[in-house]
Amino acid sequence: MATVRVIPRLDIKGPNLVKGIHLEGLRVMGDPAEFAVRYYQQGADELLYMDIVASLYGRNNLTAVVERTARDIFVPLTVGGGVRSIDDIRTLLRVGADKVAINTAAIRNPQFISEAARTFGSQCIVLSIEAKRTPNGWEAYTDNGREKTGVDAVTWAERGMELGAGEILVTSVDQEGTSKGFDLPLVTAISKRVRIPVIACGGCGTPEHAAQAVADGKADAVAVATVLHYGRHTIRDVKAAVRARGLDVRGA
Amino acid sequence: MTTSKVVTVVDYGLGNLFSVERALAAVGAQARFAQRAEDLLAADRVILPGVGAFADGMRGLTERGLLAPIQEVVARGTPLLGICLGMQLLMTEGHEFGHHQGLGVLPGAVVPIPPPDANGGYKVPNMGWGRLLPAASDTSWQGTVLADVKRGEHVYFVHGFVVQPSVEQHAVAMAECGPHRFCASVRRENVHGTQFHPEKSGPAGQAILSAFLKM
Amino acid sequence: MEQTTQELEAYYGLPREVRFCRRCVISNQRPNSAVEFKHTRDSKKATIGFDAEGVCDACRFAEHKKATIDWKAREQQLRELCDRYRSSDGSYDCLVPGSGGKDSFYAAHKLKYEYGMHPLTVTWAPHIYTDWGWKNHRAWINAGFDNYLFTPNGRVHRLLTRLAVDNLFHPFQPFILGQKNLAPRMAVMLGIPLVFYGENEAEYGNPIADTGTALRDQRYFTVDDYSKVYLGGASLVDLMERYGLEKVDFDPYLPVNAERAAKLKMEVHYLGYYLKWHPQSCYYYAVENGGFQAAPERTPGTYSKYNSIDDRIDDFHYYTTWIKFGIGRATYDAAQEIRSGDITRDEGVALVKRFDGEFPERFAEEIFEYLSIPAKEFPKATAAFAQPNMTRATFMELADKFRSPHLWRKTSTGWELRHTIWKDAP
Repeated sequence: MATVRVIPRLDIKGPNLVKGIHLEGLRVMGDPAEFAVRYYQQGADELLYMDIVASLYGRNNLTAVVERTARDIFVPLTVGGGVRSIDDIRTLLRVGADKVAINTAAIRNPQFISEAARTFGSQCIVLSIEAKRTPNGWEAYTDNGREKTGVDAVTWAERGMELGAGEILVTSVDQEGTSKGFDLPLVTAISKRVRIPVIACGGCGTPEHAAQAVADGKADAVAVATVLHYGRHTIRDVKAAVRARGLDVRGA
Repeated sequence: MTTSKVVTVVDYGLGNLFSVERALAAVGAQARFAQRAEDLLAADRVILPGVGAFADGMRGLTERGLLAPIQEVVARGTPLLGICLGMQLLMTEGHEFGHHQGLGVLPGAVVPIPPPDANGGYKVPNMGWGRLLPAASDTSWQGTVLADVKRGEHVYFVHGFVVQPSVEQHAVAMAECGPHRFCASVRRENVHGTQFHPEKSGPAGQAILSAFLKM
Repeated sequence: MEQTTQELEAYYGLPREVRFCRRCVISNQRPNSAVEFKHTRDSKKATIGFDAEGVCDACRFAEHKKATIDWKAREQQLRELCDRYRSSDGSYDCLVPGSGGKDSFYAAHKLKYEYGMHPLTVTWAPHIYTDWGWKNHRAWINAGFDNYLFTPNGRVHRLLTRLAVDNLFHPFQPFILGQKNLAPRMAVMLGIPLVFYGENEAEYGNPIADTGTALRDQRYFTVDDYSKVYLGGASLVDLMERYGLEKVDFDPYLPVNAERAAKLKMEVHYLGYYLKWHPQSCYYYAVENGGFQAAPERTPGTYSKYNSIDDRIDDFHYYTTWIKFGIGRATYDAAQEIRSGDITRDEGVALVKRFDGEFPERFAEEIFEYLSIPAKEFPKATAAFAQPNMTRATFMELADKFRSPHLWRKTSTGWELRHTIWKDAP
């Protein structure tokens, strides 16, 4: 397996970094740019910015914070939340994003993935899936875990790959913010089904959880938030746990 | 006051120009974008960036009349760094979506990464951090842009194609994609190339850009 | 031609002119907590006050909460209160009514684990439990509390709910009645004089004077004269003669007898008077200390998943407040979160625009069935209804009767609010 990536995820609302539990009850943590630079200095392999209120206002508002952080951060940056059109993507890439994550717009119009991949290249397009457990598997949600879609999450991941997405970002709504560990069956199911990189997100509370997601769940990368934002662990701790499972990770 | 070094960055419609600009700023250099032959010909130091397909890259350069200027600049001995697609375009030919002619600065071809079989072990495009290793056991990085990089250091790759330099000595560093070793960095006199993105490779990448500024 | 403000009738004694708070998203149509057992169709509502600067009482209270109240002193008062009542032999020394939602979880847990009390929790059952509501109730008990769960006679509860809908368009009233009265009744029954509620509802807009004391206003839970009592907008006499109920049926909904409450020396306090209340923090506390789980899906009519999620009829409660006052659930949730500093007013307005008044489709069919009064189950009462069967059409027709002309305008495509915050006061 290729080198595992550890990616801090920053949920951004207006000027603030926020964090919730089950994508609910968002608490303000501070200035996103400050956190981002700190994580970069501590060895983050990439960064992920999600605009949490984008779907509410009908637009992605992260251009300012992307511009600010792109000056000081030299690892890939993925930006998501409210990305709806080719123009949205172009704007974000121009101000410094390397990849964009798309959820709602893709579920509503799957062809958007193809169009985006054709225009900017698959490597720029990340399909973001919020997955919630059902008796038979997982259902895809949109709008920050608020709206059901009736779409099977695993099948949708495969379809996204076929349509041209370069990566899958899968977030477990059930585990998100709980620090109880990733939804390993979900991560495994998706990793088995697609041949593009899978970034597991939602639930990481300890470095060991991250190691499980990649070593056992076969994810290619982990996106983590709670475990870092509250200062309980550092990126180095997370990477050490991954390394301890015999996997390669940057910074050895 | 020291004047910051000016690096001419070729703007041919493909590539993350602003990322390169910011990375250069962080190491004390100023980027100047060149779309026209005359701007390129006036350069003291050139970066040829690039993200996308070989044919599109060649077309972009051709439409702007930049093919000959690049070759001219190289012939003069001006330091030039090709990044990702930029490095691939320096080769003689490319095999992406057909057969295309490259700039011919380095003899060699651009070929696809073999698709993984059922056991995989890797994914295409190759995306993520990979370790840089010397091309051959006796390859030294002294005098190359990798001079300050540690053996085995990670850098960031995003690509589906690789270069195969015909001249062994031109290959400076290798990296791995599953069971395949591929050329990660080239050098021929004043011409340097990296398959990976120094502007996205954190501190290691910054060291590479700094080294290039000293060329 | 558009009628002028003067000409449009305002039902329920609501202010004729519609205004929105400058700071939060609530409108001046918001009714203050009523004494429910005196609530009839003709009751005139007291509504939230707006001061000269256009700021509502609740926002002013929030300001006061942040800046003026000496929380250290208040907490000290709580310690002293607890010291006075704490049992020395480990028996129950206070009653904590609640559902196991984030607020009652917080209250019971704090009292037990931080203030060393021995709370007995009491719950008045929701009309119809949601799965997650039931799970959270169990989680609460499993976090270390004894609990009495009182579930009222299902048929009586349904009948009263239907009556409340027909007469007041207020499906939640039977629950509110039961819940408000349960703890005082249990206190008298078990001889536990100290009762702790959580937040003072006054934080949401009841007159600021109300929040000055910790003690719950006696009016809310005692009554001396049962002839003045109405349940579901129907008098006790009507309930017996027309609808076939007996004393034992409506007794649980009645407030405790004032004499017996006085004899016990019952004291009802708001924990929110002593401890600075932040609903979102209660959510976090409940998750971290007891495995509380937010609802798995967004509640219709709002964006929130952690407020008031244990009763399926809740959805309809807020739909009816939207019909009667033009205030939906998103408005209530957003107003509270703005005052707590969790969201900005801009965001609140956008949330209200997007979610307020959304029809609660998810449990609708179940609720209509719940509200029906078939002969088989209600042999006597069924005859008293022109339409014993509640259907969607009946419900929507009924809704129209409760739309005050000063709030609603009929258009070719349906009904439209004359005033919305996103148009009038964004």
